Amino acid sequence: MSLTRRQALASAGAVIAASGLPKPAIAANESIRVGYLPALTGPSSATGIGINRGIQLAVKEINEAGGINGRQIELITRDTQSDPTKAVNGAAELAHGEKVSVVFGPVNSGESLAVVPMLARTNTPQIHPCWVDSLTDPQKYPMCFRNAPTNRQIGGAANRYVVDVLKAKKVAVISDTTGYGTASVNAYVPMLKAKGAEVVYQSNVDAANPDLKPELLRMQSAAAEAIMPWSVNAGFLSRIINTRGDMGWDVPIVGQTTLGSGQTKALLEKPEYWAKVYPNNFRTVCYAAGGKLQARTVAFLDRLKRANIDMGDTLLWWIALGYDSPRMLTEAMKAVGTEPTQIVGYLNKLKGFPGVYGDISFTPEQHNGYPDDEVVMVEANSLRDGAFNLAPGYNA
Amino acid sequence: MLESIVLSGVAIGCIYALIGITYNVMFSASRVFSFTAGALGMLGGVLGSLFIAQVGMPLIAGFILALFGGVVLGIVTEIVAVRPVLKSLDQHLYVLSTLALALMVQQFTAIEWGTDARPFPRLLDFARGGFDQQFWLPILACAVVIVGLELLYRHTLIGHAFMAIAEDTYAARALGLPERRLRMTSYALAGAIGALAGFAGGEMLLAFFGNAPLLTFYGFVPVALGGVGNNRGAVVAGLLLGLFQQAANFLVGGIFASVAVFAVFIIVLLVRPEGLAGAALQRRV
Amino acid sequence: METPVAQSQPSRAIALGSLSALSAGLPFLVLFVVGVALPLFGGGYWGVIATRACVYWVLVSGLNLVVGFAGQIAIGWVALLTLGAYTASVLVAGNVTPPFPPYLALVVAAAVGAVFGLVIGLPALRLRTFYFAITTVGFATIVTQVALAWQSVTGGGVGVAGPIFPPPFSSEWGFYYFCLGLAAICTWTTANIASSRFGRALTAIRDAEVAAEASGIAKPALLAMVFLFSGAVAGVAGGLFAALQSYITPDAFTLDLSVLFFIAILIGGRSSIIGPLLGTILLTVLPEFAAPLVAWSTFLYAVLLLVIVLAIPGGIAEILDFKSRRPLDSHRAIIPRPDLLPRLFGSPTDGSLTLEQVALSFGGVQAIDGLDLEIRPGQVHGLIGPNGSGKTTTLNVISGFYVQQRGIVRLNGTALPARAHNKRAHMRIARTFQTPRIVGSASVLQNVMIGGTIDGKGTFAESLFSLPRHRRDEAVLRDTAMLALSAVGLERLASVRIDRLQHSELRFVEIARALMLRPAYLLLDEPAAGLSAEEIKRLGALLLAIARAGIGVLVVEHHPDLIFDICDHITVLNLGRKLAAGTPAEIRTHREVVYAYLGG
Repeated sequence: MSLTRRQALASAGAVIAASGLPKPAIAANESIRVGYLPALTGPSSATGIGINRGIQLAVKEINEAGGINGRQIELITRDTQSDPTKAVNGAAELAHGEKVSVVFGPVNSGESLAVVPMLARTNTPQIHPCWVDSLTDPQKYPMCFRNAPTNRQIGGAANRYVVDVLKAKKVAVISDTTGYGTASVNAYVPMLKAKGAEVVYQSNVDAANPDLKPELLRMQSAAAEAIMPWSVNAGFLSRIINTRGDMGWDVPIVGQTTLGSGQTKALLEKPEYWAKVYPNNFRTVCYAAGGKLQARTVAFLDRLKRANIDMGDTLLWWIALGYDSPRMLTEAMKAVGTEPTQIVGYLNKLKGFPGVYGDISFTPEQHNGYPDDEVVMVEANSLRDGAFNLAPGYNA
Repeated sequence: MLESIVLSGVAIGCIYALIGITYNVMFSASRVFSFTAGALGMLGGVLGSLFIAQVGMPLIAGFILALFGGVVLGIVTEIVAVRPVLKSLDQHLYVLSTLALALMVQQFTAIEWGTDARPFPRLLDFARGGFDQQFWLPILACAVVIVGLELLYRHTLIGHAFMAIAEDTYAARALGLPERRLRMTSYALAGAIGALAGFAGGEMLLAFFGNAPLLTFYGFVPVALGGVGNNRGAVVAGLLLGLFQQAANFLVGGIFASVAVFAVFIIVLLVRPEGLAGAALQRRV
Repeated sequence: METPVAQSQPSRAIALGSLSALSAGLPFLVLFVVGVALPLFGGGYWGVIATRACVYWVLVSGLNLVVGFAGQIAIGWVALLTLGAYTASVLVAGNVTPPFPPYLALVVAAAVGAVFGLVIGLPALRLRTFYFAITTVGFATIVTQVALAWQSVTGGGVGVAGPIFPPPFSSEWGFYYFCLGLAAICTWTTANIASSRFGRALTAIRDAEVAAEASGIAKPALLAMVFLFSGAVAGVAGGLFAALQSYITPDAFTLDLSVLFFIAILIGGRSSIIGPLLGTILLTVLPEFAAPLVAWSTFLYAVLLLVIVLAIPGGIAEILDFKSRRPLDSHRAIIPRPDLLPRLFGSPTDGSLTLEQVALSFGGVQAIDGLDLEIRPGQVHGLIGPNGSGKTTTLNVISGFYVQQRGIVRLNGTALPARAHNKRAHMRIARTFQTPRIVGSASVLQNVMIGGTIDGKGTFAESLFSLPRHRRDEAVLRDTAMLALSAVGLERLASVRIDRLQHSELRFVEIARALMLRPAYLLLDEPAAGLSAEEIKRLGALLLAIARAGIGVLVVEHHPDLIFDICDHITVLNLGRKLAAGTPAEIRTHREVVYAYLGG
């Protein structure tokens, strides 16, 4: 038995429905409303579906364990359908209509860019896992926190791996034409140059372009020693990997986490093409040398297995991130209640919250809570149970 | 490098040409362009992947069922979106009804099949490397369709009937040709050709719902430039489009390549609204 | 010197007009009051949804003129929303210029929208329907791609913050009222256009293009104005959209959004303002109620579109049109009043309309071959002959739809320019058609008023804001049209939807529409086809009276009774050549004609 996408949707609905049932009227037992803006459908929903599995499990566990000081968490879900306009509507409904105490999400950057300023105007505390750097700014958005790395952290880790570990001097950077793709290339190319690498190829390519061979040939003729693709589009990424394989070109591919997703794997022409592909991932959910996971991750995997949650078609870190987020909020609300300023005050002093996904810390000046050195590169073809082996060179 | 551009340009051009022929076959039977042409192509890829890769059917069965799916959609297009609005052709309601049907098919696929591209199976594993399935299959399919249509139109009775309908509907009806049945057969045929395009291009385009609008547009370019109803023109224009697109991808790359294709298309149309090969139509009052 | 009667009529028309305007305006008023009172009912969430509906309506109101009135299938209008949004946002952010104040940025967005509205729209003049639809989608794609690529200005994929309007429009409700106000203005202005000669001309282009051209309506100029206006409001909508979203990235401007705008209009119904307005509200609000169906929303829009197209082509507007369901009097008769004709016409002119050695062939078929013809004011000229003898072709050459390959058409001695079919109306040459060309969704009166389009004095801009010249134009057109309808005997049906009329009545409506031009020459193509014997008699009397009022009348007809009763002069055509010409008495005894045509 595994939890499919459809069942996940159904269970998200069931949680809403179940918590909407009349409960014994105990004044202090009113449920705590947590707003949630995942993209469960639409073109960029793979991340949201993975995260959703973790969220649902965490909320279930918290409620079964007695909730927050006796009050149940009620998750108010609005599917953004991967569409920024729907995300704004959903955020307005959560903030104004549903009067939630706090919002988690959206989980895609394009949606968050629109939602963050809007929630800031309504003074609603917000936590999101989107990577675009400008999404946190304690001056402009004092109530918005990020419990995931920034693009700069992701790119930094990938660039370090390419330049310092693989010792590549000439690098090709490619992305699709989405907002995320173009923004990433823009941010990472100067960073690479600053590290002393030469960017011999740089381009945004339409993800629907069926044949990427010209692109790879240009990289090859420019003598690129590593390809860095930045895209969340599995079709696009698989075309890069397949073309490299067909050309018999032995160049490492280092880049976006989706390079290692099950969807990308399914689109490969041959399984062996997945060798020398290094997507970014996160140390806490990776197998160290000898195939070992950290203790908290092992315990987490146990829980997932007991709850029959499928990991084969998603990534462990998505589930872990989803799982951590309500637990972090629960810790805050257990300590200081549900007043927005209180929650924000608590989060501003959060130090080393032990998430499965990583240790999160905030300060009043720094709302990017994810530690730099937890972002790592992994071996794509070592995927099992949604987790990977660290890429060669991480011998920590 | 050049070899790669030509090879993939020709292959993708063949797919565009096949969608163009799909438009043409529907048009010649009904004087109507249908937005479902691209949806047919998309469906060919998705159904092929569904039957062969997901369900695990034998190749031939999966292929036939995928084409059958196209035939069904072709017939549904005729019954639901074309026949009811043919009475008032001058109101152009067909644009709306076929758009609605195409959107329905696309959205249904997005929800039931998923919004991620899924793999299309490799059919025969030979000729690896330079000239493999994703290139020879579209070329073969295009050749088979164009030769098949020529034979059909020139050497069979039903083909002559198709031609008569395309030339002059009223005269054909006066001759006692079963116009409605011929139209339905044409749409079924168009459905099979559209699905074949998607099936042949499956490995290149993947089984992806978003191929529908893409093929609707790129498949119409050969029709508009090659001349309405002109299948050979569609093949030439389709190949040119494929080569131009791949060359633009290579030369200017990325975003500007698709802008270039759209811009050239619009400019050519404005200069020659009847297409590069078509003749201006006499206006009737 | 004006007579008291002439004075009292316009004022009565205005009074009648304002009364019907009041009842037509009631639904808008109710919506507006609900809109103003919205903060009393709900929280800020519904404020956001209502703001979105207002922003969308600002765009849709303009697009409605393009799609619903002019009938142009513009699917990719989201391109203009994108342009407006980026223009306003980039200017306020000051990425390339010193930061603009938000209001000024909104004005610039309107200007940019107007220019690109023209660029995207004008291919409609050259391309066929489906081609145009595809090119608009092409433009939508290009604009999004450029927004992605032009990173230094648009921020590329990371996007750019939307403008924030200064107080009192900075709060959510404040901004809502700002959008509501603009939406109300758009409603008012587009309703003004809809009920003006420009709106009627647009529907004529859509449903009866040939009749529109024969009435002197210049399609390029009219469509250009509509595209400019529609682009401008779409640009404004873009600026508001950016402010509402607070941050814009290219992925906010999906083709789904474009389809939503387009479908809102068709659900609402063509030639309607209230219908598309309700359609927009429906499509914006409905997904918020149907949360479990959210993933299916575009699918359901498509189903709705299909159902509307197949089952209720008139959309919401048709459902709300209770008036047109009342039965009409089935025993009505057409009783023309030729005595009213002198009030329609000025003093008769001299000169004549002549054809000299005109020839035209289609492919290998010689349609007319060296034809001479003279039409004189005050006379009825009959043109008869078997099918295919070139009668209608002759009419089409005179009215400029066909260009003769040889020969000249002269008006009072001056050669008429070839091909300029919409210039014929300015020369006071009017015509009717073999198959009546009408705007089915409009009333009889509105159809007749189309005939007088070129006599309006006010500009498009004056009509937008209902300035005095526009109101005067309308009053004059309405009075003249009522007079023309009375003259042909149909004044009692003035307010009825024209598609409810019988075929014979449509023939008289076409004559009334032609009379609106105060023609010097009137060309009629088989006006008696489908009429009863009694009606033919009345038609004959009417045509004779028109000629006697000083008009040159050319009648193409098969009915010998009518021809021989009323014509002063008859030309008989056979195979494109003149077989005979003369008075009815001469033709009656013309040997060849009797054998060849009258059948002995």
